[in-house]
Amino acid sequence: MTTAQQHPLEKIMDSRIAIIDGAMGTTIRTYGMTESDIRGERFKDSKKDLLNNGDIFSLTQPKMICDIHHRFLEAGADIIETNTFGATSITQSEFFIDDPREHGGRKDPAFYQKIIEDPFLSNLAWEINEQSARQCREWADRVGTATGRQRFVAGAIGPLTVSLSNSPDADDAGFRVVTFDQVKTAYAQQVRALIAGGSDLLLVETIFDSLNAKAALVAIREVFDEDGKELPVMISAAVGRGGETLISAQTTEAFWIAVQHVKPLSVGLNCSLGPDLMYPFLEELSEKADVAVSCYPNAGLPNPLSETGFDLGPQDMARYLSDFARGGLINIAGGCCGNTPEHITAIAKALEGMPPRQIVSRV
Amino acid sequence: MSYATETKPLRLSGSQPFTQQPGVYIMIGERTNVAGSPRFAKLIKAGKYEEAVSVARQQVENGANVIDICMDEGMIDGVAAMSRYLQLLASEPEVAKVPFMVDSSKWEVIEAGLKCLQGKGIVNSISLKEGEEKFRQNAATVLKYGAAVVVMAFDEQGQAATFEEKIRICERAYCILVDEVHFPPEDIIFDPNILTVATGMEEHNNYALDFINATRWIKAYLPHAKVSGGVSNISFSFRGNNKVREAMHSAFLYHAIAAGMDMGIVNAGMLEVYDEIEPELKVLVEDVLLNRRPDATERLVEHGEKLKNVGTVVNEKKAEEWRNGTVEERLSHALVKGIDAYIEFDAEEARLKLGRPLLVIEGPLMDGMSVVGDLFGAGKMFLPQVVKSARVMKKAVAHLTPFMEAEKAAMAAAGHVVKAQGKIVLATVKGDVHDIGKNIVGVVLACNNYEVIDMGVMVPCEKILERARTEKADMIGLSGLITPSLDEMVHVAKEMERQGFKLPLLIGGATTSRAHTAVKIAPHYSEPVVHVLDASRAVPVTTSLLSEDGKAEFVAQHRADYEAIRKAHSAPPQQVVSLDAARARRTPIQWRAEDLPTPEFTGVRVLENFPLATLREFIDWSPFFHTWGLKGIYPRIFEHKEQGEQARQIFNEANALLDHIIQKNLITARGVYGFFPANAVDDDVELYTDETRAKVLTRFHFLRQQSNREGSEVCRSLADFIAPKETGLPDHIGAFAVTSGIGLKELCDRFRAENDDYNAIMAEAIADRLAEAFAECLHKRVRDEWGYGHEETFSPAELIQEKYRGIRPAAGYPACPDHTEKGTLWRLLDVQANTGMKITESFAMWPGSSVSGLYFAHPESRYFSLGKIDRDQVADYQERKGMSSAEVERWLGQYLNYEPG
Repeated sequence: MTTAQQHPLEKIMDSRIAIIDGAMGTTIRTYGMTESDIRGERFKDSKKDLLNNGDIFSLTQPKMICDIHHRFLEAGADIIETNTFGATSITQSEFFIDDPREHGGRKDPAFYQKIIEDPFLSNLAWEINEQSARQCREWADRVGTATGRQRFVAGAIGPLTVSLSNSPDADDAGFRVVTFDQVKTAYAQQVRALIAGGSDLLLVETIFDSLNAKAALVAIREVFDEDGKELPVMISAAVGRGGETLISAQTTEAFWIAVQHVKPLSVGLNCSLGPDLMYPFLEELSEKADVAVSCYPNAGLPNPLSETGFDLGPQDMARYLSDFARGGLINIAGGCCGNTPEHITAIAKALEGMPPRQIVSRV
Repeated sequence: MSYATETKPLRLSGSQPFTQQPGVYIMIGERTNVAGSPRFAKLIKAGKYEEAVSVARQQVENGANVIDICMDEGMIDGVAAMSRYLQLLASEPEVAKVPFMVDSSKWEVIEAGLKCLQGKGIVNSISLKEGEEKFRQNAATVLKYGAAVVVMAFDEQGQAATFEEKIRICERAYCILVDEVHFPPEDIIFDPNILTVATGMEEHNNYALDFINATRWIKAYLPHAKVSGGVSNISFSFRGNNKVREAMHSAFLYHAIAAGMDMGIVNAGMLEVYDEIEPELKVLVEDVLLNRRPDATERLVEHGEKLKNVGTVVNEKKAEEWRNGTVEERLSHALVKGIDAYIEFDAEEARLKLGRPLLVIEGPLMDGMSVVGDLFGAGKMFLPQVVKSARVMKKAVAHLTPFMEAEKAAMAAAGHVVKAQGKIVLATVKGDVHDIGKNIVGVVLACNNYEVIDMGVMVPCEKILERARTEKADMIGLSGLITPSLDEMVHVAKEMERQGFKLPLLIGGATTSRAHTAVKIAPHYSEPVVHVLDASRAVPVTTSLLSEDGKAEFVAQHRADYEAIRKAHSAPPQQVVSLDAARARRTPIQWRAEDLPTPEFTGVRVLENFPLATLREFIDWSPFFHTWGLKGIYPRIFEHKEQGEQARQIFNEANALLDHIIQKNLITARGVYGFFPANAVDDDVELYTDETRAKVLTRFHFLRQQSNREGSEVCRSLADFIAPKETGLPDHIGAFAVTSGIGLKELCDRFRAENDDYNAIMAEAIADRLAEAFAECLHKRVRDEWGYGHEETFSPAELIQEKYRGIRPAAGYPACPDHTEKGTLWRLLDVQANTGMKITESFAMWPGSSVSGLYFAHPESRYFSLGKIDRDQVADYQERKGMSSAEVERWLGQYLNYEPG
């Protein structure tokens, strides 16, 4: 299909590899924040620990989060992600609602129906998404103006803490804790708030369950249709050693076939494997997909004994991503868990002047 | 070639991709359709979903590319049945790999179905029956979920029967879909209605031809669109006469496919082959289908009467050869493949054979689960398959449970103390919300007869311990995915120690590791703290920890292993000499020109299609027997009391297969090698572009022995065997890469497709041997070309024992363990372009049956094992290689004499 107006990001990708930012979670940890820092005044009476609910920092420690966005932009990122990986009512519920299993109950669609109808959770989810998108918008525009290079905000849509493909019940392989429609509702709210906050793109990422992703993609389509506004969509899967989505076990090509109808701006791989193990699957995707290919791996596999939790340093990541670029595999590059602004600086520098992958549209 | 005019294939997916191949008919299984299969309808109505799942499985086994699922029946709640059935199929990896066709006349059932498909399926169907508005809306919904669509040739006036009606409606639908809805044209599948012929009504006589002609028209005028149909309709008037029906189906398909029909709903196991239809019947059937004569129907009816009581000739395909194995093999096969059909039968047979139910669980069943664990660890099985295996395991255990209960009751009656079923408390630790992986562990354990108390996520330490105490649990399992959870796990371990717990503690989750568990968690708690790598490893660990007989041994082994890990991570366990001191103690060699032969040529030579018959002479068979678990030296192994006979048998089979491979050229051996002017500079070897030795072509970087070199023991490096630059003597080095794996994958795939795993493994084992033989054979040639080889008088056996002068070390092996050096070798010999062999990102060679390395000619050169190296050498090496130290440490992890980071 001939696109009448090319998106400015597509124009950039005609001439070079676009850079996406690094990890939020592991970078936050370098600021040494404590439980009371994340709670602030607003959540000081929260019953459960919030420290690992990093999205909340966008509300309680906006300065730190904006500093991270700023540093990634300075490092050379064309695209920064909102701090909203877990900003849905479903994921937030884990930090605010008692787990029924503690008292011998179970999580099931009735439980999650209450979650998605809970006004506190949905207001909170909305607020995180909108605020984070606004913060990103502000810094993307500031740095964009200062450097004369347009920057883009990708609304990050994470995989949830529940799976639509897997049964936790040993006696019933057909049981699901949550329904497609519930997941779709939670995602639709996130999508609307991300758009309201000023996102340029929507990024469905770290997909380990393709059916969860499909619910997100259906939600996006419905929001577009209902609200009359469309944004480009980026899609990125987290695959295991056999190139399969980690929970639903869909192989890379099968996954691409299942999401191709969305006509995304890009499709790619992130998180999970380190770059060394990702190559064959990226190659496969690059061969099959007729859209841009993105890649932002972890800084190697998690290594709990290393200081940052991951093995690879900035130069290592730069070398791997240069290898991918030399192989003509990527249009968008960056890092996931374990990648700090220093990693992104090194990656951006290494990829400077390297030609992007040729996007062959299959007529 | 103009790409644009080619018809785009239909692409679908389940967990695996499916791409339509040109000229290949797509078979859509129909047995999971309540309208088409009374048996399936009965199962669904009776709520026997598990058996209904096996119907889907048979369809896939019988070769269906897609399976059609339909729940349209008055007594069935379509939405509920469709959702439940598809969710069950999602947990059935062998079925979930194919795309599904969601089939219903009720839109809400279709939408419920779409909500269960992770892949790209097909909706069956939409039509213009209720007007354009509804049609557009439904098509947009199908597109939103990313499915292909069957469009029935219906409109507001009804069903299209004639050719003209069919093409008019299809064209109209096509234009709306492509121009207005922007539906991808290759995803549109028309069903122009296969209607029943030979009804006695004259106006029905042309129905088959109408369909065939409409198919031809659609394929010609509606670009990329596909055609499908329900084939069994055609023969409805011959109900009860399977012989005639089968002949009609295959003759009809024969002509419709020739006209371009892409797919059809058929019983994949019940189709006569067109060429095998008996000639007289074929003529009569084709007279009817092609409307060739007015009395065609009467003639077929008359002939059909004679055939009425002849049974079906075509049998459902049987893929059940595995049933011939021993009961242990069958149990293992059933677990690995996730087949539960015979598991109770086999479990019973094993129980009778082994005498006690527990021995079946701890023996063959656990062995099968370990195979599952190994395959999962190797990336050859995926999580859903592991879970499916566990569910099969559950069935076996469920069968054995009453026998165990009876045994326990008998023991209790005899006054013994009886242990209850194992109980485990599982929780994701405080601060962490991830639990999908932990849930899977829970399922696997529950399937193995454990009582699992899953406390969910974000569970504080006190609550876990309190629950474990009140429930009198046998074990606690902690899970976590993010880094901070590791500290919380340490905290739980400390608390368990402080509160005097006596239970084993299990640790799992994505960021956890065996090393971290051993170094950081286990020291805080006196009872066993065991890292569980993944769900497939949980049961062997819990079983050992709860086993009366096995626990002590397991714990002792476990403690020893973890102690070893801690040692490796703590103070250097080995004495090292400094790198400078080690360099001063390099291999003492008196450099003399006469020890440095000049090769016949320098540069690179390619060996295309090297004769396998020659390589055969160089095969070292001993490792071949190791592959099959037979330990011994060839040929003495044939004399072995227990193993001799079996060794002889597989040896003969291997040679028969090898004869076949050689005769039919089934695999190809290719190689590349070369000689290069070279001199050593410290621990590097420089290769030069030519004999002027002015320009460096590339460098190999070697490591030097540093540890446990007592007194003045020599500290070797491979660089020692090349004349140092400062001697001024011209030396040379050889390099090679050979493979005998070209074509191997295809060969093994063929064997596997025929369910012949044995020969697939055999072929791989032989190819491995041929690759080693190739390296050996090439080394002989290299020695000849170096000159000194001509004086050799070794027999092949002596060659295998490497009695000759010179060595051929390989990167990744003890003398030079850094795999990344293969990158240099690959560039030097341009291996990929010259042979097709590749190296992966982790520097593994592809295809698998490949060998690469360097040739050293000096008489003093020898193999050695590097041993541990220290920080000073890593710093020096990192500098030489231009890598970061973290990267070097990662590649050389096990050779480090210190804990990195």
